[in-house]
Amino acid sequence: MNERIIFHIDVNSAFLSWEAAYRLQHGEKVDLREIPSIVGGDESKRHGIVLAKSIPAKEYGIKTGESVYSAKQKCPHLTVVPPNYERYMKASNSMVNLLNEYSPYMQRYSIDEVFLDMSHIKDKGFLNIAYEIKDRIKEELGFTVNIGISSNKLLAKMASDFKKPDRVHTLFPNQIQEKMWPLPVEKLFMVGPRTQKKLNGRGIFTIGQLAKLDREYVYSWLKKPGILIWEYANGIENSLVKCAADPVKSIGNSTTTSYDVTERREAHMFLLALSEMVAMRIRNIHQMGRVISISIKDKDFFSYSHQKKLDAPTDSTKVIYETSKKLFDEIWDGKPIRLFAISVSELYSNEFFQLSLLNNYNQKEENLERTIDKIRCKYGYNSIIRSCFLHSGIKPIIGGVTMEEEYPMMSSII
Amino acid sequence: MKVLMKPIEMIALFNSKEKPIPLRYRIVDEDNTYKVIKVDRIIFAKEEKLAGNRMIFYRCKSKINNSERIYELKYEIDTCKWFLYKI
Repeated sequence: MNERIIFHIDVNSAFLSWEAAYRLQHGEKVDLREIPSIVGGDESKRHGIVLAKSIPAKEYGIKTGESVYSAKQKCPHLTVVPPNYERYMKASNSMVNLLNEYSPYMQRYSIDEVFLDMSHIKDKGFLNIAYEIKDRIKEELGFTVNIGISSNKLLAKMASDFKKPDRVHTLFPNQIQEKMWPLPVEKLFMVGPRTQKKLNGRGIFTIGQLAKLDREYVYSWLKKPGILIWEYANGIENSLVKCAADPVKSIGNSTTTSYDVTERREAHMFLLALSEMVAMRIRNIHQMGRVISISIKDKDFFSYSHQKKLDAPTDSTKVIYETSKKLFDEIWDGKPIRLFAISVSELYSNEFFQLSLLNNYNQKEENLERTIDKIRCKYGYNSIIRSCFLHSGIKPIIGGVTMEEEYPMMSSII
Repeated sequence: MKVLMKPIEMIALFNSKEKPIPLRYRIVDEDNTYKVIKVDRIIFAKEEKLAGNRMIFYRCKSKINNSERIYELKYEIDTCKWFLYKI
């Protein structure tokens, strides 16, 4: 097979650019991209972290993921705008529609990143097409992107991260030495702060230094994940541009509460609200799960988790809730809690499944849950809620960023 | 022209072929009275989809207070709202 041509299209400061374009369309005079500004969560609800930053904000040393409070200290005249995920979905969908005109082989990697297989373009024509795509997005949709081009997904992704914004970069295997190896090792995909620390500890500071290590040595030291990053450092990666999403392996939701929860009853209500969401999502993809795990974070940011494998897979809100309640009661030591999470894994198709002799199986309950799902789907999530949430101040269904729409999340699998 | 982006009440024609055609609209004046403006001519209309949000943009001409004025209207497809964008 000939060498492939892969594009990686990455929106520059996605949330912020989309918000800026939307605001300009609605008559706002200032372009958020030209002033120090961030998209940040609501501080009063304790969701106050930086989700995206403008390039002028970056110059103040503001980092994505830090608290809005510390960002404001770095730059007192910072503009903070709230996030709006429905707007982002709309902007992202419009970009995907535009890219669809160029190649049917497309992988939506996250809300603001897309891989395109452009191997059908002969000769050097791909560069012109990359510029055309970049300029069309800027002209028609009002935001800028970086396009990285290479012969595999990893290198294309690395290339789009070079100089920003509004640029096209190539990183073919023969350019690795010159363009990728001098970069600091933490710039490499899959090298996070912990791996960086380990690598730095043995004097490895650039991607090139990692690439030149002996493969066996890396394996004996960092095992399988080490081989993965060693291969990435050498530009070795050959997964396909996947048009269909990978099968789901687990489903979970979490919430940071707006105040520290000290009452057991309230904690149970948060778990119930999360169970509603998790169970509904599992039923929606026609699966059932067997392993239920919960994790909580206390007010000192110390987290712990606990899990249980059921005798038979389930998609019932009630079973998931009862199990997580039990797990919670087993691990909670009474310290105030700020975060709850429930996740269900080891998924099976719900086409047919093994019943357990020891557990009750109630067809009526199953029908009831499916009917409730349908009502919620048609009339909104809050059309039918459990009465215990009335006047409680706790939302009856918690989790996820957008209501009623699946949102493409980030993934560590390229 | 100045950016206003003011929501307006609109009578428009939706025919089977073209984009919706704005006919007349009214705005609330400074002294809290309605003022009706007839759209005399649409100079051009185009669709924009900034950040994926579809809007139809119109540059129009009308006689306002006995003088010819050029201004711009916007129709937001998702919300079915009309705006006086610039005048």
